[in-house]
Parts: sequence; C-alpha cells; structure tokens
Amino acid sequence: MNGWAQFKAILRKDLIRELRTRDMLVSMILFVLLAMVIFHYAFTVKEGADLTYFTGGMLWVTFIFAMLLGLNRSFAQEKDERCLDGLLLCPVDRVTIFFAKTAGNLIFLLFIQAVAVPVFTLFFIARSYAGDVLPFLVVLLLADVGICALGTLLATISMNTRSRDLLLPILFLPLIVPVLIAATGATTLIFVEGVGFADLAARLLLLLGFDAVFLVAAWGTYDFAIGE
Amino acid sequence: MSDSPDRQESAAPLEIEVEGLRKTFGRREVLKGISFSLERGGFLSIFGPNGAGKTTTLRVLATLLTASAGSVRVAGHDVREDPMPVRRTIGFISHNPMLYPDLTAQENLRFYADMYGVEGREARITELLERLELSHRRHDVVHTFSKGMRQRLAIARAILHRPRLLLLDEPHSGLDPRAVDILDGLLADIRAEHTFVMVTHNIAKGLELGTQLMIVESGRIAYEQAAGGDPASFTAVYREHVQERSLL
Amino acid sequence: MKKLVSAPALFAEAGICLIAGLLLAFWWAPVDASSMGFSQKIFYYHAPIAETALVAFGVAFVAAIAYLRTGRLTWDRLSYVSVRLGLLFSILVMLTGMIWGKAAWDTWWAWEPRLTTFLLVCFLYAAYWVLRSVVDEEQRRATYAAVFAIIAFIDVPITFFATRFLPEGLHPVVITTGDTGMAGSMLVSFLISMLGMALLLAALTRRDLAIEKLKDRVADLKSTIGG
Repeated sequence: MNGWAQFKAILRKDLIRELRTRDMLVSMILFVLLAMVIFHYAFTVKEGADLTYFTGGMLWVTFIFAMLLGLNRSFAQEKDERCLDGLLLCPVDRVTIFFAKTAGNLIFLLFIQAVAVPVFTLFFIARSYAGDVLPFLVVLLLADVGICALGTLLATISMNTRSRDLLLPILFLPLIVPVLIAATGATTLIFVEGVGFADLAARLLLLLGFDAVFLVAAWGTYDFAIGE
Repeated sequence: MSDSPDRQESAAPLEIEVEGLRKTFGRREVLKGISFSLERGGFLSIFGPNGAGKTTTLRVLATLLTASAGSVRVAGHDVREDPMPVRRTIGFISHNPMLYPDLTAQENLRFYADMYGVEGREARITELLERLELSHRRHDVVHTFSKGMRQRLAIARAILHRPRLLLLDEPHSGLDPRAVDILDGLLADIRAEHTFVMVTHNIAKGLELGTQLMIVESGRIAYEQAAGGDPASFTAVYREHVQERSLL
Repeated sequence: MKKLVSAPALFAEAGICLIAGLLLAFWWAPVDASSMGFSQKIFYYHAPIAETALVAFGVAFVAAIAYLRTGRLTWDRLSYVSVRLGLLFSILVMLTGMIWGKAAWDTWWAWEPRLTTFLLVCFLYAAYWVLRSVVDEEQRRATYAAVFAIIAFIDVPITFFATRFLPEGLHPVVITTGDTGMAGSMLVSFLISMLGMALLLAALTRRDLAIEKLKDRVADLKSTIGG
C-alpha cells in the first residue's frame, strides 16, 4: 500500500466529486465576488474615499471566510454518508488522509483566487503591480498553505461535534491571525508601493514558520482528530 | 448454560481472539467483558436485542473503535498496536454502503482498489460488477442507484481486496429478494477459505450459515454454542436468555 | 516538605508572597523615573499575572500531550483546569493593562503587541471552552480539547511575533521597564510578586483539580447506583 498512490487516490476522488457537482466552487466564487462588491458599498462612505491601504485586508478577509464555507462542505459528505468509515477501514496512514485533504482544499482555494484576484484588481487596484507578481504569488501560496492545513485539521474536529458549522470559525479565526497579519501586510505593500522580496522577508519568514509549525503539529495530532 | 467450541480439537488457526473486551463511551459501559474466539474458516453468527453491543463489537474488530480494555487479535495481529495488517485482511459490510454518491460505480471501486493496492484492478472490478449484476450501471453515478443496488455495490467494495475475514452487520436488511439471492450466492461461493462474523436479526439465516452461534445482551455474551439445532428451539433459547436478563 | 505543598499551605504561601510583594512595591521600590510615575507600580502585578497565565497554558499544553499519549482522563482534567485559570488570569492581564494604560497615557485601549496578543489568547481559549461544550462524549471531548490546547499554545508565540508587524500608533507602549537593569529593590519586589503569582496558580490548580476529580467520582457513583 503505497502512501503516495493512496494520496493521489483520495485527491483524485475529491477533485472528481467537486468538478462534477461544482457546488463548493460555484458558491465560494460567488461569495468572494459578492464580498468585494459589499466592501465597496460598506467602505465608500466619503467622497473620494481611498481604500488603497485596505486592499490587502479586504482580499484576505474574503478568502478566509470563503474558505470557512468550503471547508465544512469538504467533510460534510464524508460524514453524512459515513464514507469516513469506509476511508478509515482502508490500510491508510491517517496523516496521508490529512495531506490529501489539505492538498484538495489548496487546489480549490487557488482556483478561486485565480478568478477573484483579477476581478479584485479591476475593482480596487489602480496601480499596475505586474512587476511584483512573483512576490505576490509567493505570499499567496504560503498563506494558502497555512489556511488549508489549519483549516483541514480543525474541520476534521468540528465536523464531529454538535454545532459543526458554527464551531469552525470560532476555532479557526483566532488561530489564523498571524497569517492574516503577515499576508495582509505583505499584500497591501505590494499593491500600494511595489516591494521586493527583501522588504517582505520578515513576513514571508513568519508565513513559512507558521506553515512549518502547523504542518508538523497536524502530522502529530491528526490521528487523534480523525479517529473515534 | 454455554458450550464453547472445543478449542483443543480444531486444527485451524484462530482468526479472531477476543479476551475481556470492554468498551466505555463516557460513562456508559457498552461492552462489559466479552471473550470469544473464532477459527479460520468459521462462521460466527451474533444475535441479540438492539443496543446489546453487537455492532460495537464488530466495529472494534474492524479497527474503527478502540477497546477501553481487553485484548483483541485479528489475523494474528493486535488490533490496537498493529491495525494496518488487520485492515488489509478484513472487509466490512454494514447498513451504510460507504459509497460516494456523486461518483460512478466504477470510480468508487477504483478509489477503493487504489486505497487497498489491489493488483489487476480493472479485471477485478469488471469481474465483481458482473458477479453482482451491476455491469450495466458501471458508469452511472451512485445516487441514481436503488437501495438494493447500493448494497450490492457495497459488497463489491468490501471484497474488492480479497479479504480473508468478512464482517457483516445485518447485511440482509433492506435488500430486495433478488439482492438477497445474489448475496447468499456470493457468500456460498466464497464460503470456503474465508472467515465470517455476521450480526443478524434473521435467526434462520444465522443458523443456516453459522458454525458458531452467540447471543449478546447488555454488553455480555448471554449464550454461545457450536452450530446445530433448528430455528424453533434456538428461538426458544434466545427468548429464554434475553427475557431472563431483561427481567432483572 | 509535604506540608509546604499541601493545599492550604500553598494558599497561605501565595498570600504571603503577594501581600509582601504589594507592600514592597508600594513602599520600598522607588517610583519609576519615566513619565509613568506611580502608575508604573501596577507592573508588579500586571507582568506576573501575564507570565503566570502563559505558564497555565503551558501546563495545559503538556497535560494535553500527556492525555493523548496515555488516555488517562486525569490529564484532561488538569488541562481543562489550567485553561480555565489561564483564561481568568488573561482577563486580569487585560484589565490591569487597561487600567495602566488609562493612568499612564490616558487611553483605555491601545493596539500594542502584548495587549493584542492577550486579547487573542482570550478568544483562543474561549474557543477551547466552546469546543468542550459541543462534544457530548467524554473521551472524544478530551481528545479534541487536547488537540486544540496543543495547537493553541503553539500559536501564541507566533501571534506575538506577528503583532509586532502592526504599526505602533500614537503610543509607543512598549512595556519594557523591567528589561534591563531594574533597580535592586524593584527587582526584588518584582520577583516576590512573581513567586506569589506562581504559588497562587499552583494553589488554585491543585484545588480546582481536586474539585474536578470529586465531580468525576460523584458522577461515577451516580451511574453505578442509577444503573
């Protein structure tokens, strides 16, 4: 039983399912786009209000809340059809399940961001940041990994509780604050001034540290989170 | 009165050895010390009222639950210390088909085949779909299946990896007559070289198939015997033991 | 030695240290030279409470790991009790911090790293409580709570570093009075208060744990009798 083959099998299953039903993707994309429009209406109170320094924040708040919606979905079906039992019966390392689920969520998030970021740029960013696309993508990826890893771990726990939809945000939001701070700071700087890797170094390091620490923590605790 | 199977006489190795199995959920003790063994090739039928702990016992054997106390060995491995080899040798059929409704029959089986590392995946899937008369629905999404078809596909899922030990939790419940026939035929086909544990409310089927019989009640074994006897007398025994306890 | 660490003794020792610390802080230690003046003295309580809160969460962290490894519910009780006390202490940190802020800089709230971190810590461990309340089954509740206690504790230092990225605002409120070369008397008063708080935590933990164990015994007896 090759761990890599099992990883691919779980990932493939989740991707096929989502591509076929598209419910998670469509809802998340709609949510994200709607949120942007709502932000405009919410913040444009004064004539000529300058939202430049809010851009990073708006973007990441949107992604985080969209992810919270999506995470519940990705486990809901396993739980409802008791497919989780079927999965746990297989001779598979529980950590492999974690990585496969996280990878799946990461792919969905990246897909949504691919749609959302251009639209966001159109709505809110006057300056062209084409020259800083690389740092932007690095920040995006690092923050995404943290969000998906932590989210997958917590969704695994919350799906087994009484108030699963409400519990996930309460557990997730306090924990994701470091990522939020680093990502919004970096993203805003990129949008506003255009900065290179050197200036972003500290924030990138924080994101990297967060990712590393939480991936290791999830590795150690996932067995307990998913078992019975 | 209980006659336990004479262990000395059986030459076959023990596929299941359970000793003092206890399981507590919070404050509720569901299993209060269950001990039994099953030799390879045997068929254990477990009866008992609802809530007796039958399904819990099965789930412990399947590695889905960890025992609170006691030792459980399946296929020579301790279920708690060494669950992986156990998982490779068991197949589990319960009321939940454990199938992904938005995937096709083929995709479901391919998924499980990959998870178990089944060799000759495509041939095996084709073979099973034919055997269970589902070939014509191979590319259909599972949520369009009837309940009987889902159960049939679930059987395919359970034996895909050629497990030596099959754990069945009320497998006949909710099946249409055709599905029952297919299931019985399949069980008959693979009866040799396989070991079974079946939880059932169907006394006739349980007696027909079982080489070992057990009644579980309130988390304990109320009665056990090696096979034999007709349904009527066993039903009397059943009533006697279950009634006895519930009057306490 | 046993007498010194028995429950009532701990409370007494804690009380002595805390009161001594208080007296020393107010009468012996000099008034702080900086602009904060007399209000700086709240530091003698504020900082020890903060550090003690973190110690409590650290205990919860270790107990959580111990629970996951052994499965013994006593560890879960210890973890739960420590989080509760840590939360209590954290709220006190916030309150003393706010009082200090008002007295020294005439503002009730400032988004400075330490205060912000403790605010988040409060939310984090409040989430721990919510988690516990929505899981019905005991072993599972203990397991999930343990996992969360572990990742929460890991998150605290990371959050603290992250909050340093936030702009400081009007008040460069870096509470580092004690960092370099505290005057001798200040240091002693501070350390005594510190010790007092630690002893208080130990005393409360011990008492609360004993109460939880008693509750468990009662529940066990109830279920045996009730059937």
